[in-house]
Amino acid sequence: MKCSKAVASSATQNRRRSLLKAAGSAVAAGALGPYVLRGWAADPVNIGALYPSTGSMAQIGQGCVAAAKLAIEMVNHAGGIKSLGGAKLNLILSDVQSDTTVTRTETERLISGNKLSAIHGCYASALTLIASEVAERAKVPIITGSSSDQLNKGRKYTFTPFARASQFARAQLQMAKLVGDKPKVAVIFENTAFGTSTSNGLKELAPAEGVEIVMFEPYSAGFTDASPLINKVKASGANALFSVSYLNDLILIIRTVKQVGLNVAINGGSGGFVIPDFYKNVGKLADGLLGVAHWNHDVSEDAQRVNAEYKKRSGEFLFEYAGGLVAQTFMLADALERAASTDPQKVRDALAALDVSKGYAAMAPGGRVKFGPDGKNIYGHPVGVQWQNGDLASVFPKEDAHAPLMKI
Amino acid sequence: MAQAVINGLLIGGIYALVSIGVTLIFGVVKIVNFAQGEFVMIGMYISFFLGAQFGIDPVVSLLVSMPVLFFAGVLVQHFLIRRVLGLNDLPQIFLTFALSLLILNLSLMLFSANYRTLHTSYSDDAFHLGGLYVPVAKLIAFAVAMVLSGMLWVFLRTTDLGKAMRAASQNREVAQLMGINPNRVFAVALGIALALAGAAGSLLMPFYPAYPMVGQVFVLMAFVAVVLGTLGNVIGALIASLLMGIAESLGIQFIGADSGLIVVFLLLLTTLAVRPSGLAGGGRR
Repeated sequence: MKCSKAVASSATQNRRRSLLKAAGSAVAAGALGPYVLRGWAADPVNIGALYPSTGSMAQIGQGCVAAAKLAIEMVNHAGGIKSLGGAKLNLILSDVQSDTTVTRTETERLISGNKLSAIHGCYASALTLIASEVAERAKVPIITGSSSDQLNKGRKYTFTPFARASQFARAQLQMAKLVGDKPKVAVIFENTAFGTSTSNGLKELAPAEGVEIVMFEPYSAGFTDASPLINKVKASGANALFSVSYLNDLILIIRTVKQVGLNVAINGGSGGFVIPDFYKNVGKLADGLLGVAHWNHDVSEDAQRVNAEYKKRSGEFLFEYAGGLVAQTFMLADALERAASTDPQKVRDALAALDVSKGYAAMAPGGRVKFGPDGKNIYGHPVGVQWQNGDLASVFPKEDAHAPLMKI
Repeated sequence: MAQAVINGLLIGGIYALVSIGVTLIFGVVKIVNFAQGEFVMIGMYISFFLGAQFGIDPVVSLLVSMPVLFFAGVLVQHFLIRRVLGLNDLPQIFLTFALSLLILNLSLMLFSANYRTLHTSYSDDAFHLGGLYVPVAKLIAFAVAMVLSGMLWVFLRTTDLGKAMRAASQNREVAQLMGINPNRVFAVALGIALALAGAAGSLLMPFYPAYPMVGQVFVLMAFVAVVLGTLGNVIGALIASLLMGIAESLGIQFIGADSGLIVVFLLLLTTLAVRPSGLAGGGRR
């Protein structure tokens, strides 16, 4: 973590040094060009980025860091912040190590040790909640793709441009109608806090969405054989299956459904399977699996362009959280442009007044970002996704869909 | 009902391979191998990598995983278990427990916690017979498991080494007096037990994802089967495993998907209450 930070700041120093050198030689030559003037005038704008690049969430955290760097490069390449004399964005990375205690100290250290204009982070809601608390106290704006509704309660410096956790269940129920007008849903869930609370949320919302739940069954996580459970699903006459499961159980469930020859659409909700690694590990078996995400790489033409660039660099498609944070960086750039200041308070006020519906900052399901008083994007909603031949395609809602539903 | 019995019987075959290994080690060497599940996991990874890299079918890669794990068993016996045999129970328990933790964490480091699946041509296939279905991959696993168990039974009954093994398990001192070399017998027992674990791993690969903690899932069932089928009794462990698979499947079907294990443990408790030393209750070994 210290290492990555040192690398980032030494890169800045190098850049400064070369600018100074350029300036010096220019003066010596007696030709004070506009380039040199601009080099002197525009101090870089410091943006803090908090991601877990080590620990249990490292894999996703590192993807986030790669996307954060790409986004900064894109903004700087396009001329930086013009109202600040073309100031470049300077990314200051900090590793929160997938740990809540470390997140607190790292956020404090990042804010007190640097003159920051804004922060983005931290992928996992549990970490973001803590970083947001620290940022609120220090009055530095933080923008995040984390989905916890808690982040929208009594906070003034926290901005959430994407769908909230409470919206995911509703979207999942609505997706059941993709398979037919009268969806009969079987809900199976692991008997843990996560499984029980998620499935109860689905059950409560189902009547209002016109979805009939024909089976509602807990199972013990980590089972050896999914066949008895799938037998029950078969007997229930369901045409859609919601599985609130961790990955190993989900894999068994998908496989058994195929063996039984059961014709149901499986929706895994907002589980952690919307990352390229899932397909790499699970393979063709994943094809047809449905889920809900806050971002997908095909939501707009701009998103597809960023995805192509990211793919060129990493070989993988731009996943949910990483793509969202590229958009977030452009939202920050938009706010900085209008604030014409690096002062975090002014950046916060400019973010609160943000209203974008085109360009990279508007890369979101729905294509528009405008924050309400609670920091929630009033146009934010989830997108329904489906694994199709190794790629994740948006299939719901209609206005965001980029591929027809694949039948399995 | 019939479907639930089929499902249970098929998964019971896999439980059997794991529990026969545990009961063989206990019967012959008088040591509880807590690391048995980890050897199943190693078997799975061997088949996974052979399948993913060279396209070798998991059932064929059994021919690799079994010898590799047999050899591993001989090494474990020679360098680890042999050292603690004369001592009391505690060092023996800690030894296999430490081995389990070591292998588990090593594989977390080497393979990461990701789930890996192998897709064979028959992974998703099933025979359908009048409303019932039998998944091909599980049927193959069950059949091979039964063949291996049968081969082990014949080996124990008819060969000198097998007889020596049974003799050592009945009475170690007398066996030694009869000129049986315990170290050699123990090494072969460990080798066979681990080879069976490796076979279980390879046979699981077409329908179960491999990940470092996977052994824990199967080892619990194996221990229950070993106790249920009378400690040290190979046939007992086999029958108990099949019964447990069926009990679990019926439990899920008729009570609830989170209560499969309740039926298994009820079966265990009732059996122990009626026959304290298990199903095979002190009968033939």
